[in-house]
Amino acid sequence: MAKRGREHEGSDIEHQAKRIKPLKVERLLSLSDELILRVLSYLPVPDLLVCQRLSHKYHGLAGDGQLWKAHYYNRFVRPRASKLPGLKDVGAPTGTLHFASRASKWLQDEHLVEKDARTNWKQQYKLRHNWSRGTCVAEEIQVADEAPVPPILVQLHNGVIYMADQVDGLRAWSAKADRRMLAQTNLPSSASRQPPTSLAIDSKEDDQDITRIAIGFESGSFSIYAFQHADGLLAHQYTQPSSSNGVISSISLAWPYAVTMTATQILSLYHFQDMAQEKNSNVQLAPPRLLHSLKSHTVWPPLSTSLRTSSTNLVISIAYALPTYLSGWTVGIQEVKIFLNGELDESRMASAIDEHYRPLAFSTRPMMHHLTRPVIGSLATSTATELRHIHSKPTSLSYTHPYLLVSQLDNTLTLYLVTSTSESLSISAGSRLWGHTSSVSGAHVGGRGKAVSVSRRGDELRVWELEGGFASAAARKRLATGDLSVQIRSDSRQSHIAEENSQAGLDLVNRNTSGATLDEKEDMAELTLTRGWIGFDEENVVVLKEQSQGKQALVIYDFT
Amino acid sequence: MSTEAEQTVKLVSSDNVEIVTERKIAERSMLIKNMIEDLGAPGEEPIPIMNVSEAVLRKVLEWCTHHKNDPAPTQDDDADSRKKTTDIEDWDQKFMQVDQEMLFEIILAANYMDIKALLDVGCKTVANMIKGKSPEEIRKTFNIQNDFTPEEEDQIRRENEWAEDR
Repeated sequence: MAKRGREHEGSDIEHQAKRIKPLKVERLLSLSDELILRVLSYLPVPDLLVCQRLSHKYHGLAGDGQLWKAHYYNRFVRPRASKLPGLKDVGAPTGTLHFASRASKWLQDEHLVEKDARTNWKQQYKLRHNWSRGTCVAEEIQVADEAPVPPILVQLHNGVIYMADQVDGLRAWSAKADRRMLAQTNLPSSASRQPPTSLAIDSKEDDQDITRIAIGFESGSFSIYAFQHADGLLAHQYTQPSSSNGVISSISLAWPYAVTMTATQILSLYHFQDMAQEKNSNVQLAPPRLLHSLKSHTVWPPLSTSLRTSSTNLVISIAYALPTYLSGWTVGIQEVKIFLNGELDESRMASAIDEHYRPLAFSTRPMMHHLTRPVIGSLATSTATELRHIHSKPTSLSYTHPYLLVSQLDNTLTLYLVTSTSESLSISAGSRLWGHTSSVSGAHVGGRGKAVSVSRRGDELRVWELEGGFASAAARKRLATGDLSVQIRSDSRQSHIAEENSQAGLDLVNRNTSGATLDEKEDMAELTLTRGWIGFDEENVVVLKEQSQGKQALVIYDFT
Repeated sequence: MSTEAEQTVKLVSSDNVEIVTERKIAERSMLIKNMIEDLGAPGEEPIPIMNVSEAVLRKVLEWCTHHKNDPAPTQDDDADSRKKTTDIEDWDQKFMQVDQEMLFEIILAANYMDIKALLDVGCKTVANMIKGKSPEEIRKTFNIQNDFTPEEEDQIRRENEWAEDR
């Protein structure tokens, strides 16, 4: 009874309140900013953006970093927790993952949290949103009027595009908003008649001011350059004389170490004298010490070398394509561990073939004749009953531990997961990724399992979210429903050519249904082809395209 | 010898009206709860609620009465532990069907009196009034002065276009 009485009382007040004539004052302003923020914290992103359009005051409030940080966390960080094996207990659905709490797990986005004050959370949210939608702006940079042989080498690192070719030497372009050339330098004169064949950027990122670049040449020589970000200077630091070992097909750099791989499958590891305190990049380096030179018998192109250092040792990984008798092409990986003093620790190999399939070139354990007994799995006689995965030769191969991504001519990609522990090295069975509607010429995978692939005609780009592989049921479901990738839709704002390309992308879909206008398109003068080079960083995807007259252009897909 | 639940407290509104209510109801407000603990002798000393008028105070107490048996609010005022849905239970929804002035008075009072659950209901109610509306509709609803030039407004609209295709 008492309760009812009070309720009655309450509604009396309500009527009373309603009788008060509403004044023409801005009522939300009677709330403090803190309270308005509290109101805004209940709004989903689209409404938050609408609120920014109300007035200057709300533009500031609805752009508040903490609001966007929460949205970023809820949309991009928390869902990943369930995808990652081993984090399940942390990511319990009880909502224990609070972005601001001390126990929060940012899962490799910590770098954003650490520089919290400087992180523009709305910008970050938009960036990730655009990636997830495949929305970007495309812009082309003409980089060569004639096709150099071999084609231009390109690498993208921290917002700078590095390119090397015989005619224009080494160039650095900004991939950021202004898109201008930062620096250019000629290749060393001794190598001027030798086209560059491989390009690598120092994978260690501890030095913010200088980025080191290594270029391998057809003659077997290689050069080290340093790019000083502050002055925009490319400085030549060292050139190794030519060698009889032949074309350097792959090079990698983790200062002060460099690894070269020649076409004759000789792997060399060099150690430069570390001049960490010597900031002047104009100083010529002393010749490096050759630590090891190893010969491989199994490694087939395309291959990818990588070099990573830890406090105790150095790991060289070579991921390569591997032909087999029965299952077509697969992939293999070799890891060579070396102590920092240069002593060999161990070498291990793994391949993605299961033990019934005998590889063609598995005669001897490569490179390690002088080490202890090989531990190759039993190569049982083949009893292969069905051949579920006959793979064609890969067109490209990208390895960023633990992801090994291979592109194929049959419109698919294959993802392998590499497990490397102190005891063993293994590669999971491959998972086919469907999504492309034409043959794939290049793919690149990054450390968080984000991958970008491009079709041979350069008209179809897809962004893949491959994190965690396909161990979880949810991921397998996404694999089955083809929900793993999104096609990049570029919104070309400046370049006519880019516009044509995106048009072609649309046309392609139509053609697949009608199949009529295909030949007509093939004859078009501006037909573009990609040589397979593709790279990306946090904000951009860069693709090297070649037009039929031999012109080469970089297309930058900007997601900001 | 009354138990805590039957104790009453005297509250005084900003316009000097005395309201007697159950201690349990009043203690939904952390402000009052702390004051009672500090004063020591509940029921005798009137507690001034300086920033809240009688009408609003009665309304707030109405809410507290309905929710007096809710589990005590957790001390963990982690901003993000709040559930980010704007779902409001039916009774609260009806309770919040007041004019805007009262709505904002309730929010201010809930904030001042430190009643987190009521503050959340109030903020959610306002958020629901914003959701799905165009900027012009929101300005009209809350009588917000547009101080952008047409150019500025157009630029912000374009900057924020990216989220529209959801």
